[in-house]
Amino acid sequence: MALLTTITGRLSQAFLLLLVMSLIGFIGIHSVGNPVYNVVNIETATPEDIRRATELLGLDQPLWRQYVVFVQNLATGSFGTSYIYHLPAFDLVLSKLPATLELAVGAIVIATIAGTGLGLLAVTRPGTLIDRIVVTATVFALSVPSFWLSMMLILAGAVMTGWFPPGGRGSTVEVLGGDWSFLTADGLKHLVLPTLALAIPNVALIARLARAGTVEVKKTDFVRFCIAKGLSGRRILFRHALPNISLPIITIVGLQFGGMLAFAVVVETIFAWPGVGKLLIDSIQLLDRPVVMATLTFISIAFVALNALVDLLYAVLDPRVRISA
Amino acid sequence: MKFPTCLRFTGIRTAAAMLALFTATALAAAAQELRVATSYKLMTLDPHYSTLNENSSLLSHIYERLVYQDEHLNLQPGLATSWRRLSDTSWEFKLRENVRFHDGSPFTSDDVVYTIERIRNFLKPPSGGFQAYTKGIASVSAPDPLTVIIDTDGSQPTLPLSLSAIFIMHRDASGFATTEALNAGTALVGTGPYKFKSWRSGEILELTRNDDYWGDRPSWSEVKFRIVESPAARVAALSTGDVDIADFLPARDVEAIKQRGAKVESVPAARLNFLQFELAKEAAPGVTDKSGNTIPNPFRDQKVRQALSMAIDRGILVEKILSGFGTAAAQFFPNGLAGTSSNLTAQPPRYDEAKALLAEAGFPDGFKLVLNGPAGRYPGDGETLQAVAQSWARIGVSVQPVAVPFSVFNTKRGAGEYGVWYGGCSGESVDVCLEAVLASPDAESGAGALNYGQYRNPAFDEMLEKARALDVGPARDKALADVTDFVMKDQPIAPLYHFHHIFGYGERVGSYVMHPRGWTTAMQASPAAK
Repeated sequence: MALLTTITGRLSQAFLLLLVMSLIGFIGIHSVGNPVYNVVNIETATPEDIRRATELLGLDQPLWRQYVVFVQNLATGSFGTSYIYHLPAFDLVLSKLPATLELAVGAIVIATIAGTGLGLLAVTRPGTLIDRIVVTATVFALSVPSFWLSMMLILAGAVMTGWFPPGGRGSTVEVLGGDWSFLTADGLKHLVLPTLALAIPNVALIARLARAGTVEVKKTDFVRFCIAKGLSGRRILFRHALPNISLPIITIVGLQFGGMLAFAVVVETIFAWPGVGKLLIDSIQLLDRPVVMATLTFISIAFVALNALVDLLYAVLDPRVRISA
Repeated sequence: MKFPTCLRFTGIRTAAAMLALFTATALAAAAQELRVATSYKLMTLDPHYSTLNENSSLLSHIYERLVYQDEHLNLQPGLATSWRRLSDTSWEFKLRENVRFHDGSPFTSDDVVYTIERIRNFLKPPSGGFQAYTKGIASVSAPDPLTVIIDTDGSQPTLPLSLSAIFIMHRDASGFATTEALNAGTALVGTGPYKFKSWRSGEILELTRNDDYWGDRPSWSEVKFRIVESPAARVAALSTGDVDIADFLPARDVEAIKQRGAKVESVPAARLNFLQFELAKEAAPGVTDKSGNTIPNPFRDQKVRQALSMAIDRGILVEKILSGFGTAAAQFFPNGLAGTSSNLTAQPPRYDEAKALLAEAGFPDGFKLVLNGPAGRYPGDGETLQAVAQSWARIGVSVQPVAVPFSVFNTKRGAGEYGVWYGGCSGESVDVCLEAVLASPDAESGAGALNYGQYRNPAFDEMLEKARALDVGPARDKALADVTDFVMKDQPIAPLYHFHHIFGYGERVGSYVMHPRGWTTAMQASPAAK
């Protein structure tokens, strides 16, 4: 029963979120400008062309009516047709999803493993050179803007050495209805630099979290008790400290992963990576409202789902959460 | 682990031989493939969906036109070998023999009829733009498989030019092909030198050679266009040899690209960027006296417009802002192209004279204005506003430059919120721009589509109409040049510059023929001699 209440609560929250998001997105895009100027060739179109295109797109209607039409279409499962590409908007988002997923999953796996590893490495050797290098390097990696980091990666990894291509997505193979590039050698080569560009700041973030968390945990009574009991340092670290610091790390991983799905705009643009983030920013620039709305909805759902997943993992990891729920 | 010497040696030799073999085959295959990084988005595979270069440039590999425009903007036979005027309102086009579509079916006059009907009767907005080219057509008929007769509403001396925009599709027995079906990549057959292979909107377009092409054998066996919107990413892709051609490079990167061994070509674009004035309103938005009080619209005085144009330092614009990849402008197309006037050349700024003119017009102390423009749409657009602001400050006009995203700019310009702004015009011939920017706006005829400032000059309208009624040829060009001379004396706009299209190509490309309309195609590239 409690579970049911939780789920209904969650769902109604998610629904409210989607509603608010769609309103904000709708009004926001509307107030930026008229998309019709990106649909017709503004340097040759006559006022008559513009008027007809406006009517056909339904942009001559008042905003509230446009929104009602949008919601009605949504009820039938349609986000409408992209003004620019003339393809169903949600299909367009889904077609960009494999590119984004392989980038984000790669980056988050690297970030979690390398970040936790570096953090623990530093904390077990407090005050040594390694500790200081990790602390300084993570501050540096967190403070450089991602466009600069991407540029430097292109400069070092592509322009100067020629090891990796400077941008674009490699050849793809079709598996489970999506085009995946990580299954081909060419695709993997193309993946390296953008994945690193996305992973590095997150490696730093997670390393700092892991280090700080462990420092805190080390001061607690139960760790002191473990030491007194004569447990080995390694066993204390992995069996007792790690589960305790994993909660904030999982929260961050969940949040950052959601962010990568949607807002890896800078990295995707610089590496000409055809992902969801790039689609969103391009569509905003072109005022392609159906695609913007479809992308925003997809992102909101992804965030809600990820948060739910993180909460679930809390319960798995933390007995206190299980008992209180 | 140690191998016996002889075995190890053989192993290395075999490996080396295999590597050599592999490299050789890889090179042979790669030598025929052309990889292009383009800024053109290619939004749809429907050739009649939108007139934007964004679509037509890449689709011209697959589809062809009856007539095409060469790099001097002259008309050349395409799918039509010849055309002539039968009467004032009737044209005859003779079609090329032995042309086949990619599915093997022959190209006939019926396909031309189908194409024009599809544009006129089938496509609905927002797939607009092409209707403008078929507007003057009353009827199309096909008396025999290689002849098309087009009857026009009234005299249409530039019908062949209009047809140079229209891609010919193959008649679909089951009715008109829908945009959705074309986007799905089905029934995508044209007569062009390259055949469609695959496409992902906003990502890539892959083409293969059409071995049955009617003209010279296409140079490349495979062509892969990668859509790379960020200029920096295009520069990086070209500098690392990841692509063979990159289009629309930023002028400031040209030196670095050359240093890395790539070649760079440029051509002045058949277009103009200019400043346009609000002329209809009693008070121009954003224009006040120095203390912020509303003043009568100063731009309605010819002397004010002349003074402002005179006080623009176009040398700074093209040398500094465009790094030399621009031509200072005094008319719509770069001097030398058909229909331009040799009397009009850009002059260095004359501040004293401009100040005197302003005083004569009743503004000895100048005035204040907001100068609006798009940011990042055209090369140098945002910086130009700043530079003009500095120039105008020297004649006492204080300027607040405001650059906004292009879509916002268009919305506000369309709503009449601007007093003076930065605009652009391009077209297949100079009269297109003369009509769009300067002719009195008329919703019915579509004239003055870009005349947001409501410039009205009946004498000019009449002259332009007469010039446009002439047949394509020297007499028409002369008349258009005279019209330009006449109207620019009144300074309805302040021309700024013709920016250059800058393309770069790597060692596998021998030469690239630039087109002033800014097209990016594999047909313009020839492979390097081995």
